[in-house]
Amino acid sequence: MIRLYHVSKTYGDHAALQDINLRVAKGEFCYVTGPSGAGKTTLLKLLYAAEKPSEGKVMVGGVDLTDLSRRRRPYLRRNIGVIFQDFKLIPSRTVAENVALSMEVLGYPRATIQRRVRAVLSIVGLKGKEGNLPAQLSGGEQQRVAVARAIVNDPAVLLADEPTGNLDGAMAIEVIEILQAINLRGTTVLVATHDMALMDRFPYRALRFVSGKLVKERPCRL
Amino acid sequence: MSSLMGHILRRAFRSLWENLYLNLVATGVIAASVLMLGVFLMVMYNLNAITHSWASDVHVSAYFHQDVPVERCFDLKEQVAAMEGVEAVRFVSEEEARAYLVEQVPETEPVLAELGDGVLPASLEITLEPGMARDKGLQQMVEALALPELSEVDYGQQWVERFNSFLALLRLLGLILGALIAVAAVFLVANTIHLVVYSRRTELETMRLVGATDDTIMAPFLIEGLVQGVLGSAIGMVGLLAVHRWVILRLQQALELTLAEDPLAYLPLDYTLSLLAVGALLGVLGAWSAVYRFLAKAP
Repeated sequence: MIRLYHVSKTYGDHAALQDINLRVAKGEFCYVTGPSGAGKTTLLKLLYAAEKPSEGKVMVGGVDLTDLSRRRRPYLRRNIGVIFQDFKLIPSRTVAENVALSMEVLGYPRATIQRRVRAVLSIVGLKGKEGNLPAQLSGGEQQRVAVARAIVNDPAVLLADEPTGNLDGAMAIEVIEILQAINLRGTTVLVATHDMALMDRFPYRALRFVSGKLVKERPCRL
Repeated sequence: MSSLMGHILRRAFRSLWENLYLNLVATGVIAASVLMLGVFLMVMYNLNAITHSWASDVHVSAYFHQDVPVERCFDLKEQVAAMEGVEAVRFVSEEEARAYLVEQVPETEPVLAELGDGVLPASLEITLEPGMARDKGLQQMVEALALPELSEVDYGQQWVERFNSFLALLRLLGLILGALIAVAAVFLVANTIHLVVYSRRTELETMRLVGATDDTIMAPFLIEGLVQGVLGSAIGMVGLLAVHRWVILRLQQALELTLAEDPLAYLPLDYTLSLLAVGALLGVLGAWSAVYRFLAKAP
């Protein structure tokens, strides 16, 4: 599902990623870990085409992102869900409206959107909170809204950048359990995190980055 | 209507309502710009109309030498009356000229009495057919009147020509001023809408991340710009109507301006529709520029 061939990314003199070769299979759950500045976020940005590699080739779902034009980018992203540490929810929109945004921009009919949003909110455990504003939810609940928004279009790949970074232990476990459930439905999940405890509790394959280099790989222990 | 278009329209009108203050500011900027352009257009339109009517109404005065016999004067009158483009010719004798001058400026009577006869020449007052003065007709007529019996041909065209040059300069200045107003309006509207875009950047970034095309993101803002533009133009034109009714007409009366026989006119329909289109274009261009700036930087 995800292939990187000798990928490097530099910003001026700073090398954010250096000669990365990587393969993540379809339906796999994988961590990307390492200290701050290791290149985790840069890797995810390359995968949802927010950045282009300075060298090498990036493939997602068989699509070569190396020279993907701006016009074709949206069509790639319809197959990729992205979750951020700071949730990126729209404060003036309700939970249901935040989730519906992903489907509205693709032109789904309202009835379909309503039906699908209800179903997804039920999956992430937010049934009954459709009309709440983000500010009325806990951090864990807000992250679950972000997860619902990322999966409502049923993407083939789910990228999560420090999804538990702003959450306490119990809430972090809840979010990973939801990602695990989504993965069991066949979605490839890539989670950037430096939470070792969480990686030990859910011991999937882990790729450790340091200073832009892939230095160590831990296989899945499940 | 497709579902996507429905979502786009809902987003546009929701944003108009949710960002009411900023949208009112943008509408106000467009209204002020349209009003300024409108006042300028109205002034230009009326000046054009006035000079057009003057140019259509040029009278030629041909003055005889003192020694030309009256019979010869009448012969020439017939000759001139037969010329192409001449509507009417009237012979004005020295006595008639003297009486007219005294009637118009009574203070001249003792001076004229002192000077005696032969001061004011007899003349032919030639009225041209409408439009004759505008093309080459007037010049040809003046050339045809280069007769030995006539001492001077006065047709006031120099004045009209100077006024036309002045009007051309005014038009050029107007074009520059209009362009500056339009650019300033686009800039102001773009910056106002940019504030709306900035306040909604999380939403727009999210839209891009979930696969919205640039067109889908841009469309609601263009609709907002169009609504602001049309509304702003309409307000600007109501203002223009008020300026025409309460300022220009009253000013014309107060200053007893008799440049034109009729009251100065409001803009005709095609000008009004053009202003409406300009306002709408300002709104759309402003919105496009603001969102384009955002999208160019968006990942």
